[in-house]
Formats: sequence, structure tokens, C-alpha cells
Amino acid sequence: MRYVIIGGSAAAISAIEAIRSIDRESQIELFSDEATPLFSRVLLPYYIAEELSKPLLNFRSSDFFEQNKITSHLGVRIKEISSESNTVTAENGEAYPFDKLLLATGGNPIIPPIQGIQKEGISTLKTMADAEKIYQWKGKRAVVIGAGSVGVESCISLRKRGMEVTLLEQLGHVLPTVFDEEAASMIQKRIEDLGIKTVTGEKAIQFSGNGHVESVVTESREIKCEMVVLAVGVKPAIELAKKVGIEIGSLEGIKVNAEMMTNVQDIYSAGDVAETFDITRESSWINAIWPCAVEQGRVAGLNMAGKKTLYIGSFRRNSIGNFIGVPAISMGLTRAETCSTCEAGESFQEIKRRTKDAYKKLIIKKGRLAGVILVGQTQKAGLYQILLKKQIDVSEYIPVLMSRNLNFMDILPLIRRNADRFTETEYKEIMDTGL
Amino acid sequence: MKILVVDKNKCTGCHQCELWCGTEIASVSKELYQAIREEPHPIPRVYVEGKDFALQCRHCEEAPCIEACPNGTMRRDPETGLVYVNEPTCIACWMCVMVCPFGIINPSASMKVAIKCDRCRHMGYPICAEVCPTQAIKLEERKDYRTKAF
Ligand SMILES: Cc1cc2nc3c(=O)[nH]c(=O)nc-3n(C[C@H](O)[C@H](O)[C@H](O)COP(=O)(O)OP(=O)(O)OC[C@H]3O[C@@H](n4cnc5c(N)ncnc54)[C@H](O)[C@@H]3O)c2cc1C
Ligand code: SF4
Ligand code: SF4
Repeated sequence: MRYVIIGGSAAAISAIEAIRSIDRESQIELFSDEATPLFSRVLLPYYIAEELSKPLLNFRSSDFFEQNKITSHLGVRIKEISSESNTVTAENGEAYPFDKLLLATGGNPIIPPIQGIQKEGISTLKTMADAEKIYQWKGKRAVVIGAGSVGVESCISLRKRGMEVTLLEQLGHVLPTVFDEEAASMIQKRIEDLGIKTVTGEKAIQFSGNGHVESVVTESREIKCEMVVLAVGVKPAIELAKKVGIEIGSLEGIKVNAEMMTNVQDIYSAGDVAETFDITRESSWINAIWPCAVEQGRVAGLNMAGKKTLYIGSFRRNSIGNFIGVPAISMGLTRAETCSTCEAGESFQEIKRRTKDAYKKLIIKKGRLAGVILVGQTQKAGLYQILLKKQIDVSEYIPVLMSRNLNFMDILPLIRRNADRFTETEYKEIMDTGL
Repeated sequence: MKILVVDKNKCTGCHQCELWCGTEIASVSKELYQAIREEPHPIPRVYVEGKDFALQCRHCEEAPCIEACPNGTMRRDPETGLVYVNEPTCIACWMCVMVCPFGIINPSASMKVAIKCDRCRHMGYPICAEVCPTQAIKLEERKDYRTKAF
């Protein structure tokens, strides 16, 4: 068996570990157009903030490729796939054959069509090279455009380096797709306490400056700056897939089935590039987060190595930790009314509790958790996560789930009642508690 | 693999396991009378849940915490199969906390690391099982339950 993996990040490495858990010997070739291997993108803001040095950005040890007998081609871009000859062709023209192929090409940062976007001092933050560039920038004032997770972390990292930072978001509050207004306001307060200026509900319409950026212009103001970080999201890197006729979903991601296989036999896909079934939306979605990339990579790898495994589906999960300084976790949908893909008339329920420093909200759909937001108290977040993931009917357990003292014992009866939704291993682990 | 099994009928909710885990594993002084006064307060890795049920990390075979950890801090010891936090590299992002189905990872605000049971991997025998006065916590081989009707 010859495996070829395109991409060298979360989904790719997870797939390799899964393949190697079954098949120790077959040839695995990995191609990544990034020269630095095995670093975690999630840590790039920590690098810019000078909290972590380069060696600490790795998520696997530097001998990972040797240990797992991987032939790695780093800094090599694949330009073409042929599904007839089952080969991939690198940019230098060399072709490599495969029996099973994984597309873990991730996402490309979106470059919004704003006038003056080509100016120097404007960058996205996705690659190691981006992080290095931003780290080297000289200047005192920065604007970060887009207040999603990457935007918020970027502005905090620059602030930690002593810069004057403005965070600009066109929607009504920070982290608009991660938290609801209430939770976001608590986090926004923290961001502002760090000395970052937040501007919401305003769009950047122009970058001014001669060659180098000098300011960001919105409908109502001009913000002077020497640097701009663009963080308005990523879109799946589907160029390769498109050319070879792999089916692309309505959200412009690679469509995969529950085995993470594309419509082309023996070609699999996982991670930020893949469009999968979203449990909370009950439709196809792209959840471009680390845990999903790892889970999908594992399922893809197992199937590639011949162990049939089905992916239960994805759902959004975000955690804000020590870097921002408020413990907050959010998963699934953030608001009852924003589920555009849900049928009209479906019954949604929102249950909230707010105290001075803590906030908890459950979104219940047809008796099941469709979304959870926790700010302040987060230790038991995983209990909600498992109930949501397994879509267990919690309608009789709302008071328990809203209780401050929730613990595993409280939800065990529910888990037992739904034992058939757990895999053999998961079930064993639960029963091992001895209850 | 051996795991810690708790017999709910035997657990009296006396919190001895918490007390000694906190002293032996978590504290700096390792002396009970000093440990209870230490700042930051030592955090036990076992929790007496509800009134009478001791729970600690299950060392899951398919561990969601390892999959969620963005920098490999949460990892499995290849020799013993035990899941542990490599504390020096933990960035306190709490992604593991978000996905642990048992809710047993403590996102320690004071220590800025994820704290959980490593089943005393550097000691001969887990302290909670050793100190439990009724032997409600026992180290046993993992069983197959599905075959049993429930
Ligand atoms: C700054 C930042 C912070 C983040 N923070 C978080 C967080 O806190 N929590 C969280 O859950 N997620 C976070 N994410 C998202 C997370 O990093 C991604 O979900 C994850 O990296 C996805 O992994 P992947 O393997 O699917 O793809 P990617 O990490 O995008 O990797 C794909 C790789 O494939 C390479 N590639 C693409 N095309 C080719 C080709 N043709 N030939 C060769 N190589 C190719 C790319 O260059 C890239 O190296 C963050 C992302 C960024 C950028
Ligand atoms: S921390 Fe939680 S998820 Fe991780 S191995 Fe232990 S019980 Fe399982
Ligand atoms: S808190 Fe630490 S162990 Fe947990 S996911 Fe983050 S880095 Fe990994």
C-alpha cells in the first residue's frame, strides 16, 4: 500500500498516526508547501506575543517523521492530481503514485476586496512565515480587522508587545460566530481592560498610505496605524480537488462521506478543507477548528488503512483560555434564531443564567443540546459536550444541567439510557467508572 | 490495561482520597498540615462527586483530550498507556477541558495548567487506592461490559 498525504498540519498528522496504528510498514509520503514542519497554527499568536519560542510551537516531537517512517517533502507544493494514473505531481514536475490519497490542504485566509489591500504592512496570519513577518514589523500602532478567534488573539498578541491596537469588527460584537452578545460583552470588556480599543459595527473601506499602510478608513473614521492584520476568516483550499473533479459542497469545501472519502474512490479529505455533516446544524458545514481536523484526520486514516470507521459528525467548539484571560467555552450554535439551515417552526429553547462573573446558556432543539456557552465556570464543559455530541435527549435534565454543582454522576443515567450511541471503547470507559 | 474502578457501595464520601492526592501529588510540602495552608492551594486530581462517588481520569483509549490539545501537551505514555499533561508546555487554553466527557480536568487559573490524574505514573501505586479506608477504589484490569446485559 502506498499512502500520499497532502498537507502537514493537524488533519495530516492525525491521519498518519491512525494509519500507523494499523499499518507500520507501508510507504507514506507527505507533501507540505510550508517549509516548517509540525508546528501548531493555534500557537502563532503566542509566538508573536513572545510567550513561546519557535521550538515550543511544535505539536509533535521533531523526530516524528523518522519515528513513523514518513518520507516528508517539505516546501513542496502539489500542483496536480490524476485520478486515472493515481499520481500526484509536484510543482517541479515529479510524479508520485498512490493507492490512497488524503487531501488535508486546510484553508486559505480570505483577502477582502478593500481598496489599498496590497500595501505593505498588511498581512493575514496563517503560516509561520506570516507570524515571522508580523513579529518583525516595526511600528507602534496596529489595526486588526475581524474579531473572530484569530483576530482577537492577534490583537492581544500585539498588545502584549506593547503596541497600540484597535480591533475592528463589522458585526455588532466581538467573536460574533463564537459567542452571543451577552458572553461577548464579558470578553470584550476583558479585551478593553487590556488596553485594546474595540470598534464594532464598522467596516474597513480603504487603506491609505504611500506604499506602506498609514491608516484604515471606515465609514465614519480614520484609524492611523503602521500595520494591519487581516483576520476575516479562511476558505477551503480546493484548487487541487476541483481540477480532478472531486465534488465540492455548497459551502465550497470538499464533500466527504462518513468515512471521510470524497466522491472519487481512494481519495479522502479531512480538516479545514472538508465539508462534513454538522451535528448541531443537521446539515453540511465547515468547522475549521483544531479538534475537528484531528478527529477527521483520524477517521480518514483508519479508513485508508482498511479499518472501516464512521465519523459521527462535526460541530464547532471554541475555548478561550489564559491567553485572553477569561475562561469561556462555546460549542454548537450560539443563538436559537441564527440557525438558518433549520426548518421553520422547529422548537428552540434558550435557557440562560447570568451572575456577576459567570454566564451559562443552553440552546435546546427538539430536546437535545444544539449549543452551549459557558463563561467563568467551565470545568464541566465536557459533560455538555458529550451530551451534545451524542445528541442525547436532555429535556428532563434541564435543571440538572443548569445547576452549579453539575457532575458526571448527574448525567450518568442519561448516558446509560443511550448506551447504544457510544462506541465499544467509549462505553467501556464509562462503565469503568464502576457505577 | 489496568484502570481505577470505584465501588459506589463502598465509597462513604469521606474525601480521604482527595485529601491525600492533594497532599502527596499536588502540594509542594507533601505534609498535610502544611499542604492545607499552601498558596496556591493544592488541587487534588480525584473528585468525590455528589455525596459518595470518587472519580478521576479514565485514561480513555480514544482520548478526546489528546485530540483537542493543540500542542501535544496532553499525551499518552507509550509504555503504560496512561494519559498525562506535560505541564511545562501547557498553554492553559482549556481545549481539553472542553471535551473531557467526565469533566475531570481542572483548568487551574492559579497554576495556569490543566490539572488531572496521571494515575500516579511515577509512583508504585495510586495514592487514592492506597488510602481509601474501605477499599472502594481499586486498581483492576479493564473489563468487557457489552457482553453483559444491562
Ligand atoms: C492564528 C490561528 C489561531 C488559531 N487558533 C485556534 C484555536 O485556538 N482553536 C482551534 O480549534 N483552532 C484554531 N485555529 C484553527 C486551526 O489551526 C485549524 O483548524 C487547523 O490548523 C486545521 O488543520 P488542517 O490540517 O485541516 O489544515 P491547515 O492547518 O490549514 O494545514 C494545511 C496545510 O496544507 C498545505 N497545503 C495546502 N495545499 C497544498 C498543496 N497543494 N501542496 C502541498 N501542501 C499544501 C498548507 O500550506 C498547510 O500547511 C487557529 C488558526 C490560526 C491560523
Ligand atoms: S482527561 Fe478525560 S478525556 Fe482525557 S483520558 Fe482522562 S477521562 Fe479521558
Ligand atoms: S490546557 Fe494544556 S493540556 Fe489542555 S488542551 Fe490546552 S495545552 Fe493541552
